Amino acid sequence: MALFNSPARVFLAATALRLILLVYGGWQDANSAVKYTDIDYMVFTDAARYVAKGESPYARDTYRYTPLLAWMLLPTAWEGAAPWSTLTFAFGKALFALADVLAGWLVVQLLVRCYQFPVERALRYVAAVWLWNPMVANISTRGSSEGLLGVLVAALLWATLTKKPVLAGLILGLAVHFKIYPFIYGISILWWWDAERDGSAPASSDLLSKALGFITPSRVKFTVAALASFVALNFVMYIQYGQPFLHHTFLHHLTRIDHRHNFSPYSTLLYLSAAGGAETRFEALAFLPQLILVVVALPLVLAKKSLTTAMLAQTFTFVTFNKVCTSQYFLWYLILLPFYLPSSSLIRKPTLGVSAAILWVAGQALWLYQGYNLEFLGLSSFVPGLFLAGLFFFAVNVWILGIIVQDGGERAGEITVAPK
Amino acid sequence: MKRRITFIQRVDASFDPQQAVLTASSLSVRDLDAAREDRITVGLHELPEELRAVLEQSHELHLRWASERSFDAVTPYSSRVSPGLHVNYTPLQSESSSEALCTLLRTIVAPSKDAQYKDCSKQEDSFITPPLLSTRFASSASLQYYTHLPSIRSLVKYIRDNVCSQSREDGPECHIRADALLSADSVDIDYDNISHALTMSGLWTSPPLGGWTDKFQTPASADDQIELGLLGAEAGLEPEEIKMGGLLAVVGQDKKLKPTMFSFPSRHQSLTEPSSYTVSFAPPTGLHPTMSISMPRSSLKRPPAPSDATCALHTYLTLPSTIFGDQYQLATTDPLFLESHNLVALRALAGEMDLEAPDWVVQRWGSNWLLELATPPEAEHAASTSDPSNWTATIPLHLRYLPPSETGHRTAHIPWPVVFWACTVEDNTKMGVNPFDRTNLGWDSLFGPRTLFYQLQPAGNRLVEEIDVPVLRLEGGDGYFQGKYIELGTCVAISLGFMWVLWRLARVAWSSGVGSKRAEAAHDKND
Repeated sequence: MALFNSPARVFLAATALRLILLVYGGWQDANSAVKYTDIDYMVFTDAARYVAKGESPYARDTYRYTPLLAWMLLPTAWEGAAPWSTLTFAFGKALFALADVLAGWLVVQLLVRCYQFPVERALRYVAAVWLWNPMVANISTRGSSEGLLGVLVAALLWATLTKKPVLAGLILGLAVHFKIYPFIYGISILWWWDAERDGSAPASSDLLSKALGFITPSRVKFTVAALASFVALNFVMYIQYGQPFLHHTFLHHLTRIDHRHNFSPYSTLLYLSAAGGAETRFEALAFLPQLILVVVALPLVLAKKSLTTAMLAQTFTFVTFNKVCTSQYFLWYLILLPFYLPSSSLIRKPTLGVSAAILWVAGQALWLYQGYNLEFLGLSSFVPGLFLAGLFFFAVNVWILGIIVQDGGERAGEITVAPK
Repeated sequence: MKRRITFIQRVDASFDPQQAVLTASSLSVRDLDAAREDRITVGLHELPEELRAVLEQSHELHLRWASERSFDAVTPYSSRVSPGLHVNYTPLQSESSSEALCTLLRTIVAPSKDAQYKDCSKQEDSFITPPLLSTRFASSASLQYYTHLPSIRSLVKYIRDNVCSQSREDGPECHIRADALLSADSVDIDYDNISHALTMSGLWTSPPLGGWTDKFQTPASADDQIELGLLGAEAGLEPEEIKMGGLLAVVGQDKKLKPTMFSFPSRHQSLTEPSSYTVSFAPPTGLHPTMSISMPRSSLKRPPAPSDATCALHTYLTLPSTIFGDQYQLATTDPLFLESHNLVALRALAGEMDLEAPDWVVQRWGSNWLLELATPPEAEHAASTSDPSNWTATIPLHLRYLPPSETGHRTAHIPWPVVFWACTVEDNTKMGVNPFDRTNLGWDSLFGPRTLFYQLQPAGNRLVEEIDVPVLRLEGGDGYFQGKYIELGTCVAISLGFMWVLWRLARVAWSSGVGSKRAEAAHDKND
């Protein structure tokens, strides 16, 4: 298709899609009692309004994000007459949409420069998975901040694969400050970034020099930069907003109950135990399988073979084994798919790929059907409906994860030639 | 002890002088077709120790109980609260922490085991703080509590066992009067630190079958007094006034029933034309029930308030902790949302607002919401008072997660809200001189002191809605739905998933190590 010959056309189309959705969203908000804009966006903009008045963004209930987000959205708090206020209100959504497109552009750059993809092939994959994906465009134009994570992860990869350890560290620190989970990428990147990768000779074989050889300039720079930006950001925010900042951005995630139904296999158990009906405290150990895989096993086995596939597997595992899982979490691994898919067995063996897609969608559909019965019809579908649907969806995800791991072992998504 | 008995007859009710006979020592009434209010005022020293201890800690304490049965409003008793028990309390010392009031409440509420009842252990944990509309009108109590309470049997038992035993001669009569409360439509108990007296009133808006037949003896003690009125009410000369006329007597003092006629300004007024509303939740309610308040369009005529008064239709919701509104959703100024629900604005809110907490985490009893409702446009209104379709305001609400149960369902009891017109008048009418005045209803203190209230009449057999809340189904014994199967199932699934991923990783590590070097086999294949 001639369309994919030109990056300009692909990016223009992606931008146009988002512009249309922004305008449409503004129209629907102004003309229907059912709003296009996401509830979370109202939380962000309320928080921005508090900041504009010199107050804390945490004055808004359920604002559980870094103050950076409220600061970024300060223009949405500008007062103005009718057409002007619609524009300022949409500022944040436009910013999120722009972040989307930028993330797509970074991924295309990486595929072309580091993975030696022909431009057309890179554009084809990134357009299909990200740039032209209506779900991605929809989420950012409705005002969900998940799109910002996309650009941060893409930028982290770009800085890493083009060997800029300080920049990569700074971006990682920012990303973790924004939404804790990207810390898992730090481990993969650290393990991946060995002396060989820096272009120096491999360390000799005795244990001491091997251990010392682990400490490379790049790893040190990366770690120090990541810690520095993470600590500095938190320090500034703590000075500014004190305990509420710590509580809502970080500590809240330790104390939340998460008894509400969601895609996680733990959700029924968490409801049971939160209501005091569980005999064991199995869910208290939920972090173990999740972190053993994500922090230790996956980086160790896969990172050096294929960094992006390792990161994809980490994200997939993190989401699958998490105590809470909502559909926005699926966006987290979408940005990493264009690196993995082209050489994956899901594409090479269409039967496998189609089966995986069908099973994944079936898992979602089964769960959503039970969720609909509960949420809208008021049927008591917690057991066996939601419980089994959650476990089935978990099983499908684990099976797909096995395929990704195997592909990662076969170096799917690996850089074939080192960049200049 | 002072008793005041008031019979209010409708204008069209028949009255024969033979129906009320006053002698030197008693007053008898016979087959009287009237509404009745009994009000007893007792000094602190006449009360049992335990109750006195609570009252001595109180700056003010007001209990308002209303029956779940529908009852007619009778001028001058036209104010309403949602069915159930409402407690408005201001402690003497604002920081004082005491379990005494809660202990007393537990005695008179005696909740059934299955009720979603917020146990009141300390008032600062269970009570909510009502909003102060303005410090100018600091007329509301500082703490508020509500509980679903279909019957006041436990309160009656408490009075029989504890209060009646204190009164000297009239023990048996005290029991009869306490038992009579079981059929009352509403009961008020008031205490304040200024008068040091406890007032208790019961209201029966309709007579028992055949009418009221009763005999009131001159009290044995000179300190006690019984005053009785046989009255009728009608609109006064001014719109904010009520005019009453009839017969009055103090039993044992007066030789005959004294004719009387008086008028006074009243904050609670009756609507001149019948105005009703019904409350329902459209099925299926799911986890996000929507409360509908439906009124015939003919019910929505502006009340007969002074022409310079500003009138608006309001509803005041009393929601137990099982159900709540999203304050951000309801406080919106988006005209599309408000119009689609026939709402004007959220005017006041108080209590448990947490959007995420399950019910068992919520400590306080629930929340209160004052919403201004939209009314049909004037032009349409004039043309369509005969329009048979209802005017409906809807309020989107949400259910909290409730603890698991054997059936997979639990019932949430939601009292019907009160619906009323509030008309603010500009002049300096003093409402306090009304001998039938009633305040501390929760919603009245959210308006200025010069506001007239016109209640709409709830039309239904039972003024409490029951919502089926889906919960986790857990069976005892050897049923299929047991907590241990959920624990076991989750544990096995997670472990298998974990092992599976580890196994795939181990295979990769065995065939090609953990480094970046290609394994020989893979190398050959790729070349």
